[in-house]
Amino acid sequence: MLIAVDPHSPTPLYAQIVDEIQRAVALGRIAPDELLPSVRQLAVDLRINPSTVVQAYRELERLGVVEMRKGLGTYALRKKVTARERRAIVREVAERALRDGFRYGVTAAELLEGIREASRTALSKRA
Amino acid sequence: MTNAIPFPGPALRSDADGTLVQRFDRELAIESRMLGKRYRRAWALSDVALQVPTGAVSLFVGPNGAGKSTTIRILLDLTRATTGEAMVLGHSASAESTWVRRHVGYVPEQLDWGYGWLTVAQLLTYHSRYYPTWDDAYAQRLSKAFNLQLGQTMRTLSKGQGRRVHLLMALAHRPPVLILDEPTDGLDPLMREGVLETLVEHIAESPTTLLISTHHAYEFEALADHVSVIRHGTLQAQLPMETLRERLRRYQARIPAQWEAPTAVMKALLRRKSAPGEIEYTLWGDETELTAVLEQSGATLWNVSRLNLSDAMIALLDPDDGKQSLRSAQEDSRGIS
Repeated sequence: MLIAVDPHSPTPLYAQIVDEIQRAVALGRIAPDELLPSVRQLAVDLRINPSTVVQAYRELERLGVVEMRKGLGTYALRKKVTARERRAIVREVAERALRDGFRYGVTAAELLEGIREASRTALSKRA
Repeated sequence: MTNAIPFPGPALRSDADGTLVQRFDRELAIESRMLGKRYRRAWALSDVALQVPTGAVSLFVGPNGAGKSTTIRILLDLTRATTGEAMVLGHSASAESTWVRRHVGYVPEQLDWGYGWLTVAQLLTYHSRYYPTWDDAYAQRLSKAFNLQLGQTMRTLSKGQGRRVHLLMALAHRPPVLILDEPTDGLDPLMREGVLETLVEHIAESPTTLLISTHHAYEFEALADHVSVIRHGTLQAQLPMETLRERLRRYQARIPAQWEAPTAVMKALLRRKSAPGEIEYTLWGDETELTAVLEQSGATLWNVSRLNLSDAMIALLDPDDGKQSLRSAQEDSRGIS
C-alpha cells in the first residue's frame, strides 16, 4: 500500500495519514481485513515520527476505519462512506471553490452556473 | 520576580502560560533555568528556560549565532553558564557532567576531534569503552548502513563521512537523550535522507528524547513534535507543534475605508501585509475569537489558513512591530491576573 504525505503542508501529518487511509478503505484500495503497515514500517517509509503514526491509527480506530489487534497489528475494517461523510467532502470542495472564486471576484451564483456549464460540456465531450 | 543580573533587551516571560513561550507540565528530559552566558560584554544567552519533555522530538530553531550551540555546549559542560543552571534527566549539567555525558548521545556542530591519526575503527573502539551500554551489533549495522570505511584515518574523511561517524558514536550506546547540533549541515540531499531514516528507525526502536538544533526547520518538520525558537539569545517561542499549528493562523480579509484593527487583533499580531482595501495578518490566538473580532470590526474575512513550519518560523523569528504589542499585551494580562 502506498501512502503519500507532504511533511511541509500546513495540514497536520496525522490528519493526512487518516485522510489517505480513510479514502483508500472507502474506495476499496485497501480490502477489509487487510493488514496495514506496522507503526515502525510506515514511520520509516514516510520518514516521520512513529508517534504520529500511532496518533493516526488511533484516530482511524475511533472513526471505525481500522481495528488495532493486540500483538497482531492494525487491520482495515469493512467500511462504507456514510451520507454525512460524503456531505462533508462536498462541503470541503465547495468551500475551496468559493474561496478561489472570491479571488477572481466570482459570486456563488456565477460559480454554480459555471459548474453546470462545465459538467454539461465535459459530459458531451465524453459522449 | 526580578532578576539580579541586568540582561540586555526586554525581559522574557519564561513563566507565562498560554503564550508563545510555554512551560510544560510534563516530565522533562532537558531543562534550563534562567540560563545566561556572557562573552566579555555581550550576552550570548539571557534567561533561557529551555524545556524538552521526556520522549519528545524537539527542534531548536534559530538563525546562525542565535545561541543554539552555546546552549547545547552548556548542556554537555563544554562551556559554563554565566547565570542559571541546566539539567539533563534531572542531573546538573555542570556538577554531574560525567554522568550526563554518559547518558547523552551528542553530535557537535564542529567536527574538530583532534584524533585525526586514528582510523575509524580505532576511534570507535576507543569511544565505545566509555559507554557501558554500547551496542556493538548496532554499531556494526550502522557502519554498514552509513557505508563507512573502517580502515580510513579520520583526517581523510569528508565532512559528510565525519558527520556519520559522529552520528554512529552518538546512537550506538542507545542513550536516553540525543542532542544533535546541525546534524545535516554539509550533507548532500541523499545523505540527509539517510540520516532522517536512521533517526526514525532509532526512535522507533529505542525510547529517546531528541533535541535537534537546526536553522533548516523544514528538514525535520515531519519528525518533530515540539519546537523551541531562539533569537538574539532569548527564547521567542517554546511550544508543542500542535499548539503552534492550532493557534498561529493567517487571516485574509477585505476591509472598508478607514478601517482600524481592533485592539485584540493588534495584540495577537505577528506579521502583516496590507494593500488598499485588504489585509493579510498572521495572528497568534484562538481562531474563533479572532474571527469574531475581525468580523465585528467590519472586515470581510475570506480566508483563514494554517501556516507550514517555514512560514511559522518566519513569523516567530521576524515579527514586525506587531510583536511588541503582543509582548506588552501579555505582560499586561499577567499583571491583571
